[in-house]
Amino acid sequence: MKRLFPTLLALIALATTLAPAASSSTLNDVGYVDQSAIAALPAMVNISRQLAAVQAQLSKQYAVDMRSSRSPSQRQRVNAQLQQQFVTEQRNLEGPTFMRVQLAIASVASSRGLSVVVDKRIVIYGGEDITQQVVRLLQSSQQIIPLGTEPPPSEIGYVDQAVLANSPQVKAASQQLATYAEKERRYYGLQFQQAGSNAQRQQQIAQAYNKAMSDEQDQLLKPVVDHAQAVTAQVAQRKGLLLVIDHADILYGGTDITTDVQNALNK
Amino acid sequence: MTFCALGTLWACQGVDVNSPNIRGIAYVKIDDVVKHAPLYPQLSRLDAAIAMVDLTEAAPNVPRNAAQIASEDKKLLAELSAAKARAQHIIYQKQREYATREQAAVAAALGAAHGRPTGNAAAAFGQVSQQQAQAAEVQAGRDFMAYQRSVVQQSNGAARSVVSRFQEEAVQKLQAKQLQEQQRETDLQLQLSRQDAAERLSLQTRLSMLALDDATRRKLEAQLNAIASRENAAMSAQREADRREYAAYRRQVMVQTNVAMHGQLSQIQSQTQTELTSRRNQVGAQLRAMAGPPIGRVSPATQAQLRRIAAQFQAQYQQDVQSVITEYAETSDTLAAQYAMLHSTDVAAASAVQQEVLILEQRRQTLYNQIVAQVQSEAQRLAREKGLRVVFSDVTAAPGGYDMTNELIHDIEGKSE
Repeated sequence: MKRLFPTLLALIALATTLAPAASSSTLNDVGYVDQSAIAALPAMVNISRQLAAVQAQLSKQYAVDMRSSRSPSQRQRVNAQLQQQFVTEQRNLEGPTFMRVQLAIASVASSRGLSVVVDKRIVIYGGEDITQQVVRLLQSSQQIIPLGTEPPPSEIGYVDQAVLANSPQVKAASQQLATYAEKERRYYGLQFQQAGSNAQRQQQIAQAYNKAMSDEQDQLLKPVVDHAQAVTAQVAQRKGLLLVIDHADILYGGTDITTDVQNALNK
Repeated sequence: MTFCALGTLWACQGVDVNSPNIRGIAYVKIDDVVKHAPLYPQLSRLDAAIAMVDLTEAAPNVPRNAAQIASEDKKLLAELSAAKARAQHIIYQKQREYATREQAAVAAALGAAHGRPTGNAAAAFGQVSQQQAQAAEVQAGRDFMAYQRSVVQQSNGAARSVVSRFQEEAVQKLQAKQLQEQQRETDLQLQLSRQDAAERLSLQTRLSMLALDDATRRKLEAQLNAIASRENAAMSAQREADRREYAAYRRQVMVQTNVAMHGQLSQIQSQTQTELTSRRNQVGAQLRAMAGPPIGRVSPATQAQLRRIAAQFQAQYQQDVQSVITEYAETSDTLAAQYAMLHSTDVAAASAVQQEVLILEQRRQTLYNQIVAQVQSEAQRLAREKGLRVVFSDVTAAPGGYDMTNELIHDIEGKSE
């Protein structure tokens, strides 16, 4: 205990030394938007309907084209063509409205002096709710002019988790886990059947099955995820960031460190 | 002091939320805190329940999957088809046998009427007309079998559609019942939570804010435990009542379904038999008319005798064939019942398994959301106390900011112990 306490104090001191070079004032420029309120706007609902219709139409076309395709390469081509067609339609339908939403958020964020706006889901406390201002701006007929300036630098960073999830390490671990899960499910399924109507035994088997899965997940995935988080934290620290969140939760501003993290992971 | 990890150490000693490394920003690893929430054991039980249902599906043959049901279907239909072919063959043979015997009896009666020996009387019909009669009889037999096949096929199709409709209705009724019970349990859970919220908060506040002596602390903790036990008991009682109600309802639905389904299946079989008998009689009459002598040229007494012979053979034939038809109908009935059983139990069971998983997962999500709401509420309280500006959940990495996770775990554990 006598040795632990100075070590902890030293660690605290080290953590303080390595902290982002920033002013000691509190961070007041974080805003958030409730995206479900935006998605409920008539324009967005209308786009969803149109997209569903496009999808239904392409699905029919897909079925017809696949029936007339004889070789795997033909089928692949049909698949690629229709996917491309859907993406194009999606871009055409969503693009202008999404751009308007982006501009509205940026406009409100800028007028409120916010450096970063995130999704409401990840905010437990505090921050500035700008949802209503954004909705009002979107519902107005006024043209939203692009700001012409970049968002101010922010100490909140972000990484694209989808990109990191595609890393060979994560993919390999996920594949191993899926194989293990299939094997264990068969094994415990058989035991479960042999337990007959003994409910207590069945419950024990179910708990053992869950534990086996959880342990394997810890063994296979956790080290990879922990490593990625540690590397992300190191990159973020070098860039003077306080926190890093997922790209999917960022609506405006923030510092993108995805490429830096990818490079660091590939080293 | 050993309890305090790096983050908690700050908490234990008072954290400077305005330090350059924090700047009023904090975060919580929600899933880590959830594992220490008072309701977490319930969440684990739901996970175990989901695993149990999952393993029920994983176990071989329990219940049958779609491919196995299809294979059993095929086997049953093959048996039905074999029984049908057997019955048709026997009926055809009986038709021939009775037609020959009837012809012989008619010939004998005519021979006796003309004072000729039986053998000569048979020859009197002429070889050509006899061949024509035989050809017509063979053709009529074939036509009848084709007709019989088509009627039986239609009957089987109708039976399958009846089975499918009834089992679909049964599954819908059971699903509706499960959803109703799930809603009731969720409502009760929320009601209990709201009902005890004030008392629980008051106890938690006293536990966290006051310098308490051991006896008072134990008393407050016991009161908190009593609330949790009371809620658990109420929920368990409701679940048990719902489970019993569902089991009874399921039995009732299955019985009602089976009775109604078998009623309709019997009706279909009865109609099939009526159609077949009517057609058979019609064909038999036509054949007798073709094979018989020109009745107008024989005496009224012989005509009456010929009618008696026809009626007698018709009655004997019907009696004889009826046993074959009854035997076939019984086999068909048994196979149809097996078919119905296969579908109404296994498909309903498989569907019920999927439905059960869905309901358990929904229930798990509701409970998880409830736990997260409690954690967030506690985090908000802490954030206010510490003067934090923003608290995030589930950040990807955090070189700075204040990690509230351990402090929240400590608070939540302390309040639920």
